[in-house]
Amino acid sequence: MLHSVFLKTLRDLRRGFVWWSVGLAGMSALMVSVYPTVRGNAALNKLVEDYPAALKGFFGFGGELDYTSAAGYLGMELFSLMVPLLLLIAAIAAGSGAVAGEEDRGTLDLLLSLPVSRTRLALEKFAALVTESVALGFVVWISLWIGAVAVGMDISAAKLAAATTDAVALAVAYGAVALLAGCATGRRGVAIGITAAAAVAAYLVNSLAPLVDLLDPVQKLSPFYHYAAQSPLRSGLDPLHLLVLLAIAAVGAAGSVLAFRRRDLA
Amino acid sequence: MSAVVRADRLTKFYGSARGIVDTSFEIVAGEVFGFLGPNGAGKSTTIRLMLDLIRPTSGRVELFGLDPQKDGIEIRRRVGYVPGDLRLYERLTARDLLQYFAHVRGMRGLGAAPRLVEQLQLELDRPIRALSKGNRQKVGLVQAMMHRPELLVLDEPTSGLDPLVQQTFNDLLREATGEGRTVFLSSHMLGEVQRVADRVALVREGRIELVEEVETLRRRAFTRVEVSFADAPPADAFTGIPGVRELERRGDSVLFVLEGTADPLVKALALHRVLSLDVHEADLEDIFLTLYRNESPHAA
Repeated sequence: MLHSVFLKTLRDLRRGFVWWSVGLAGMSALMVSVYPTVRGNAALNKLVEDYPAALKGFFGFGGELDYTSAAGYLGMELFSLMVPLLLLIAAIAAGSGAVAGEEDRGTLDLLLSLPVSRTRLALEKFAALVTESVALGFVVWISLWIGAVAVGMDISAAKLAAATTDAVALAVAYGAVALLAGCATGRRGVAIGITAAAAVAAYLVNSLAPLVDLLDPVQKLSPFYHYAAQSPLRSGLDPLHLLVLLAIAAVGAAGSVLAFRRRDLA
Repeated sequence: MSAVVRADRLTKFYGSARGIVDTSFEIVAGEVFGFLGPNGAGKSTTIRLMLDLIRPTSGRVELFGLDPQKDGIEIRRRVGYVPGDLRLYERLTARDLLQYFAHVRGMRGLGAAPRLVEQLQLELDRPIRALSKGNRQKVGLVQAMMHRPELLVLDEPTSGLDPLVQQTFNDLLREATGEGRTVFLSSHMLGEVQRVADRVALVREGRIELVEEVETLRRRAFTRVEVSFADAPPADAFTGIPGVRELERRGDSVLFVLEGTADPLVKALALHRVLSLDVHEADLEDIFLTLYRNESPHAA
């Protein structure tokens, strides 16, 4: 695991990865195991139908609210907030730690005294963060799928994969933003702060846009809009929205390289 | 052959804070070049400019005739570096760290590392967080030297090393220069530099004040000698001794300033009953004072 910056970074992430996996798998399994008590419960559906439109926008995760169906249930309980939130936190932690973390700890001086370019360093760090996010997404997918089969949930492995891919893409986009903020400032705390603030703002813009007309024009700027608009649990991935998320990630990675190359190290 | 390092009016400001100003020097192959100055003089700034960790405000520095910003990878392949503020991966063992760096350097094995580890008696299998400062410093030295670099850049490398290890370290440097390799050694301690360096640059407040052969410097450096006598010697007992000046008397003890060899003073002291003898090597400040005022202690 010490053959490259990429592998060394994965190695550093593995401790956290174990705990993230346990948490995500546990949460997924728990939610799925409760589903049999929800299925076919018309009263619950009636309750949700009476929610104000605003709340439906908040929780719907694309498409109509339909709490008792498998897709509706997973959308509301997991994919509207918890899954993307947790994947986002893990990705922001990895992205902010990648370069700025080493700079904060002072190990970057020595690493960059080796024959490795800053471009390569930033890209290998980015690759590690993508790998971690994809692996966590895989953990979510496999736990949901096993759970779904076990309780006889009416949802396909492909649809579950589409939803987790969507969430991973969102997480990688924010991971890239955190990497960029870290590469530009060299300070991990600042990178986390900037990225978290940007994520909360984007989340609120997307969630409140249906209520506040003023926000309508900017809703499409929010990555969360492109995440939720896909409705992957029902209809699979929408290439255009997915592309927007991947483009944010690519721009973040490229910006990281540019910012890192031109700066004095602390 | 051209210079291994050539700095030409190299200048670095951090905002309005001074790093180094208008610094020019040349280091030729096979020499140990001492970079001597108090903390904050701009030594680390100069080194970090050489490695492209920071960029100059103006002027330029070349290593092997190459530009650190354009040809950084080629340069760093041929350089080994121990930072002044050495931070290592705390969770790795020394062995893991050396393996990691060897891989990133594209080395096939561990190069000279096994031999260096043995010479420095470095423990390889404990996590770095459990190592003492001296042992960490050894890890720093081994990673800097394992690929047998043409240029070794050492920023305060012997801090934390015990005297015995310092001796080994000095031997390693001599061995390196014996093979035609070059050493850039920064330090705030004259003693550390003068034992191994061929030439030394004195840096103060961001400027190189002079570059001198160590031999020449050693001849100009002076020592303070405090002698306490059984009976106070006559007031004129030590006048006219070459290289010796009486600085002050306190009861039965006398403080001398000594320039050059100790012999004349020792001969003169032999005529009296000496209770104790305390020798202080001149600190940097003293040398700066004498060199920059261009006066030696007994000239006036």
